[in-house]
Amino acid sequence: MHPFAFSSTDDPAKAIAAHADDPELAFIAGGTDLLGLIKDRAAQPARLLDINRLADMARIEASPDGALRIGAMARMSDVAANADVRRRVPVIAEALVFAASGQLRNMASIGGNIMQRTRCAYFRDEDGLPCNKRRPGSGCSALHGVNRNHAIFGWSDNCVATNASDVAVAFAALDANVIVRGRSGERSIPFTEFHRLPADTPERDNVLDRGDLIVAIEVPARAEARGSHYLKVRDRQSYEFALVSAAAAVTVEGGRIRSARLALGGVAHKPWRLAAAETALRRAALDDADALRSAIAASFSDARPLAHNAFKVELAQRVALRALQIAGARA
Amino acid sequence: MNAIGQAISRADGRLKVTGAARYTADIPVTGAVHAAIVSSTIANGRTVSIDTKAAEKAPGVLAVFTHRNMPRMNPTPKPWSHLHPHGQGYLPLQDDEIHYAGQPIALIVGETLDQATYAGTLIMVAYGEKKPVVFGQQTVNEAVDPPQFLWPVNSSVGDARKGIAAGAVKIEQTYTTPDRHHNQMEPHATTAVWDADGTLTLYETTQHIYGAKALVAIVLGLPPEKINVVSHFLGGGFGGKAYVWPHTLLAAVAAKEIKRPVRIQLTRAQMYSMVGHQPATIQTVSLGADRDGKLTGIHHQSISPTPVFDSYIEYAAMATRSLWAASGGISTTHKVVHVNRNTPTAMRSPHEALGHVALESAMDELAYATGVDPVVLRLRNDTEIDPHSGRPFSTRAMRQCLTEGAARFGWAKRTPEPRSMRDGRYLIGQGVAAAIYTHWRWPAKARVTLNRDGSAIVESGMHEIGGGTYTVMQQVAADALGLPAEKVTVRLGDTRLPMSIPSIGSATMANAGASVMLAAKAARDKAIALALTGRDAPFSGAAVQDVQVGDGTLTLARRNQNITYAELLARNGLSELAADAAYDPVPEHEGPKAIFSFGAVFAEVRVDPEFGTVRLNRFVGAYDAGLIINPKTARSQAIGGITWGVGQALLEQSETDPATGRFINRNYSGYLVPTNADIPELDVLFAGEFDEEASPLGAKGLGELTAVSVAPAIVNAVYHATGKRIRDLPVTVEKLL
Repeated sequence: MHPFAFSSTDDPAKAIAAHADDPELAFIAGGTDLLGLIKDRAAQPARLLDINRLADMARIEASPDGALRIGAMARMSDVAANADVRRRVPVIAEALVFAASGQLRNMASIGGNIMQRTRCAYFRDEDGLPCNKRRPGSGCSALHGVNRNHAIFGWSDNCVATNASDVAVAFAALDANVIVRGRSGERSIPFTEFHRLPADTPERDNVLDRGDLIVAIEVPARAEARGSHYLKVRDRQSYEFALVSAAAAVTVEGGRIRSARLALGGVAHKPWRLAAAETALRRAALDDADALRSAIAASFSDARPLAHNAFKVELAQRVALRALQIAGARA
Repeated sequence: MNAIGQAISRADGRLKVTGAARYTADIPVTGAVHAAIVSSTIANGRTVSIDTKAAEKAPGVLAVFTHRNMPRMNPTPKPWSHLHPHGQGYLPLQDDEIHYAGQPIALIVGETLDQATYAGTLIMVAYGEKKPVVFGQQTVNEAVDPPQFLWPVNSSVGDARKGIAAGAVKIEQTYTTPDRHHNQMEPHATTAVWDADGTLTLYETTQHIYGAKALVAIVLGLPPEKINVVSHFLGGGFGGKAYVWPHTLLAAVAAKEIKRPVRIQLTRAQMYSMVGHQPATIQTVSLGADRDGKLTGIHHQSISPTPVFDSYIEYAAMATRSLWAASGGISTTHKVVHVNRNTPTAMRSPHEALGHVALESAMDELAYATGVDPVVLRLRNDTEIDPHSGRPFSTRAMRQCLTEGAARFGWAKRTPEPRSMRDGRYLIGQGVAAAIYTHWRWPAKARVTLNRDGSAIVESGMHEIGGGTYTVMQQVAADALGLPAEKVTVRLGDTRLPMSIPSIGSATMANAGASVMLAAKAARDKAIALALTGRDAPFSGAAVQDVQVGDGTLTLARRNQNITYAELLARNGLSELAADAAYDPVPEHEGPKAIFSFGAVFAEVRVDPEFGTVRLNRFVGAYDAGLIINPKTARSQAIGGITWGVGQALLEQSETDPATGRFINRNYSGYLVPTNADIPELDVLFAGEFDEEASPLGAKGLGELTAVSVAPAIVNAVYHATGKRIRDLPVTVEKLL
């Protein structure tokens, strides 16, 4: 393993300053992704700064109006088990319990979860294959390689990787915000703008800068939150990343969809909102599967499958449809 | 009460679940240092330069070896043999050539594993790269006839082509299975220790301590008596630890060079390149049958990859030689394609588990083509004579496996039409497949010692690879000695013990078990002799056959006399009474009967027709493995085998990057094996009987058998559920959408 120095702090300001000043320093929270990356030599930080002791960052707070504030250091298992989260925003609880394993969920933080890096096998190869995310300029092995698990939306010739987080898909669907504290103070980043598309700089997964510390995820009160569902399709029943997943949240009036929020996982470098579908779904009858299907299809005209993942185009639409139907039944 | 036949819990269970069992890399060795292997990132070509300067200067580094300074090794002997089994014939760090991705190109020895591993990252390699040859449909026309190494490469009984042509119904299909890796939880590891007198001890993750000893002796040019190999527990073998792979040789040589004990433990990723794997197969099966489904001919061809330097054959078509009768004839062929990869090796269940995918899928296709129920079709083609050798089977409870399994499964309620069974939104499918597995008869030795405290010790160079050897050998010795099982201790896994067999081919119970039984009987007979003629002999003048043993006591009922083993030894001033025995059977193929294990397995799947996801609902396995020594460990073997087969059917595939020829999903995250959530309740029943040809214990092989035909049963169930015939494993969602 790459040698690194380890220290910890309970002072957010010190953490932020240390990260800003030192390009070879990485924060470590649960470590469930970072340690694997270091072992696979896909990350080689010279210094790790343990932020587990930062005070007041693990709280899960619910406002009377239904909004949630989830501290960045809250563990996945704690958020998934939280009564307010389960009752008010089932899509978040479901996205969490279908992710990883019990042991990992006990360790992994919410802030770390949305920072997790792609599962692309080329990116994570112990001996290092060409990968622009790992070594900018070295090329993308997956573009013409084994790319069954890769993107169908928004990829570039430089990178076809997908984002692996489940809960990020739910956050994107609900237009959550990432609360970030940096050197110049605190700011709120709309979740759908937090992760980036690969374009020419696939080494950058998100918009954070040096010295940025995620302190919380804020989920505004959404009328659709209660009628929500996370549906994950994967090769095995447990402990596996999504082939395709969908977060759906709806309000229903007289059997018709009043408003819909829909995002997909496993299809792009970021959680993929289906904006055109959301518009087309308004006023659609929930029991008219054909109408729902064609509304969802509105978001797939720009799907660009790779050699091994054409099935995702059809599968994603079917997963979105069923997620929507289940969410609608709850609304 | 006899211990044999009892569902006794594992003698080593507590040790294992508490972490007290010491696996190879856990065994502390004073002064041991660690080595890390740097491997090739290209699959074909050569190293032009290897710059080791920075690595040599890194903290804790004791030595850096490349092909330039690694001492030369003796070539592995030809032909390949189980008696001196190399995993690959190409020896590490002997020249600058690269034949496969992940090939060792440097070895760093450091004070700690982290230091050695980190130093390895500082080695700079320049390659002269050639385009790798990668196995696939496009390379099939380069397939060649390999030299024989275990069984005949081709077989022909009768005239299969003519028989097929004469059939009223014909099936000819190609089935493909992917590369797979063993993925044992315990990584391969070796600790090599040289004593002052030049004796080498290898603490080795091996299923074959004597094979490791023999091969290392040859390659290092040592007298075999100067090598000891130790393996007390194995955290999974599955065939992948049966033979000697490069890291063992590297550890031994490096330890000698630096005069310190050296430990090497492969990384998870290295377990996909530096040790063996199950090769992909492209198999074609042709069946001819009459309208009632009775076979008139079978032809089965299999093509699999092998490296440029070895000719490993995956004998996928072999089981077809003996599974079903075919009136016109049966022929089989195997071919290989030389590509840039490491040597494949046996992987549970080698040969059979692949061949059955093709044959038992084709049988299901035949059932649908003829309209004959798949269970009935198999009953119609059952045979009491081995079609290949012409010998009668010793025992063959195929009929019982099929009928009792079908009854337990509720097969009669199945409606044969595809897509005819549903559960809400899910399609339900039910499939069956039959199985046959090779039986080995091998010589084995054991020693049994009675102690003065009334306990006994079994000593034999067997292995505990997870199947329960410590437990079942207790039972065997206990019954022969007339002792409670808990009074028997088993010592195994050391070449200094009486020589036993490799733990491969499900051969341990029948063969090593027989040697233990013979040694225990010999020890018992020595004790009886003492009771008759020893000091102060209590049974003086009695006949041997009148003496009974039980509960640690010898009894002469006729004279109402008895004496315990402990009293007997004390009376004769003995601290112990030991006996050696050798089980020395004729090889199976030279015997009068054909010996195989059999099974019939039934799977029910649930398919989400919109998503293409397949989940196993329930499973019944009915097995003929002769007499079952321990129903609990036997059932556990079946749970492991069935789970293994579920992985083969639905999940497992090692993917090769087409450009670089490298396996790319080299970890548990990329290579999927079943989780608990994927495995429903498994129903296991045993339909066999005592088979005296198979073993004096009456047992046939079981462990490997249980992983055979799980996949075709699932594939057949998927067809029944969906109407889609999947001929390319694993059955993943895109194939059903």
